[in-house]
Amino acid sequence: MEVKLEAAVAVINLKNLNKNNKATLVTVFLMLFTATGVIAQVQDSIQVYKKRVLETAEVDFLTSYYSQDGDNAAVSGGIGTEELTDITATFIVAIPLNDDDVLTIDAGVSAYTSASSSNVGPFDDGPASPFQASSGASSGDLWASVSGNYSHSSDDRNQIWSGKASVSSEYDYFSLGLGGSYTRLFNEKNTEISINANIFLDTWKTIYPTELRPFEANGNGLSDDLFIRNTITGNTNYAPSFNEISDKGRNSYSVGLGFSQILHKNVQGSLSLDVIQQEGLLSTPFQRVYFSDVADSFIDQFQLADDIERLPDSRTKVALGGRLNWYLTERLVLRTSYRYYFDNWGINSHTASVELPIKLSDKFTIYPSYRFYNQTAADYFAPYEQHLSTAEFYTSDYDLSEYSANQFGFGVSYTDIFAKLHISKFGLKSVDLKFSQYDRDTTFNFSMISAGLKFVSD
Amino acid sequence: MIRKMLSISILILGMSSCVVVKEYEKINLNDPDMVLGDKKVDRNVATAHSYREAAVGANGGKTGGGCGCN
Repeated sequence: MEVKLEAAVAVINLKNLNKNNKATLVTVFLMLFTATGVIAQVQDSIQVYKKRVLETAEVDFLTSYYSQDGDNAAVSGGIGTEELTDITATFIVAIPLNDDDVLTIDAGVSAYTSASSSNVGPFDDGPASPFQASSGASSGDLWASVSGNYSHSSDDRNQIWSGKASVSSEYDYFSLGLGGSYTRLFNEKNTEISINANIFLDTWKTIYPTELRPFEANGNGLSDDLFIRNTITGNTNYAPSFNEISDKGRNSYSVGLGFSQILHKNVQGSLSLDVIQQEGLLSTPFQRVYFSDVADSFIDQFQLADDIERLPDSRTKVALGGRLNWYLTERLVLRTSYRYYFDNWGINSHTASVELPIKLSDKFTIYPSYRFYNQTAADYFAPYEQHLSTAEFYTSDYDLSEYSANQFGFGVSYTDIFAKLHISKFGLKSVDLKFSQYDRDTTFNFSMISAGLKFVSD
Repeated sequence: MIRKMLSISILILGMSSCVVVKEYEKINLNDPDMVLGDKKVDRNVATAHSYREAAVGANGGKTGGGCGCN
């Protein structure tokens, strides 16, 4: 419109106009010029108007209490208590920087006490036993993590770019992560494709089982104070085949592809493909292995390690997943997922889950859920005392064994879309509580209580 | 299994051209329970899975962001 008005004015021949007409024309021109400017401004304002990606700042607080038990601790070579408790607290703050950009900061801590890892050093106090916790330094640890994610959406909201950086630390492990993703929506936002890539650069601080430390390069062997203070029984000529680990890094690279599709006004689904490559120290330095062809040595009731677990320094993983959600009625939603996984260590896995949110009212929803998981064993796994010392790779970590697991969950959600209840300038939007019970067909099980609170700023 | 997944992919890709749901028809799809992803309250239990199960992705537990070794 702006161009047309200017053209119309340009074709008028000023020479054919008298003084009054000229004055009139100047007035009309000024009016048109002003109107053009106003129209242009209106057009600009229409062009720049867009719904904010995130209206106001949001804060999520997540916390959980976790408790596990079992009789196949990897620290003690596939036997012994797996008792562990953990408390986790996380804040996630999402801040809209402008109409298009959102910065999300995610910070969390997790504190655990573990009978299993306490037996990295089981000779600290009292009679040593793989089924009894020790009070050593490895009986607990604190994990802390901070990550930042920056996302930018295009004006038409059909493209989203994001970048992410993360740092996490615990006593014997440090991790640095970088990642990015690109998402494209089309077909009137009915179809979405995405690609993401992540890199984790991790470093171990290697901690070995106490009885193996005297056999490090500068160790005193059987002359060490440990073996003077404690009497070895069984094979008294304890001579483990132990070599220290030289490569303490672990790098992980992943690429993921996603596709989601609205199938109906009540049904949508997604597919995903993830390929992960890992290099470096992929075993855990304080997990013991006992060989069947080596005579057993003991201090008290605790069998001394023949070696630590040894695993290849490379692993390729592939995971294919799918989700299908169906809004059955105003009160009932069906959420399903399936995932197939395989890697070059010989592990194949299936995961299937179903959740049935039932809306009791406009504020309360309950969530019964069920999850099935199974996996085949890694090529390098064997139970306690079943490995041969001649093998190149070995582990007795039951997390790498063959098993099936069932998990039942029940959650309750409270939602107040008006966020009436306030703490300072933040209104409470939702509260979620969930209990999960997980049981393997071995001795392992865990239970977890989780809570989540969501606040929105005024 | 890969053949099955490919079949499902082709099926869904084929279905994508069959229907276009308009923005004003997406009220049910925009329900919080219809999100195609894990809920935030499930995040810590997902972390537990990544520590205790071998089929772990690259963004948690044993492959980065923590050793997942306890």
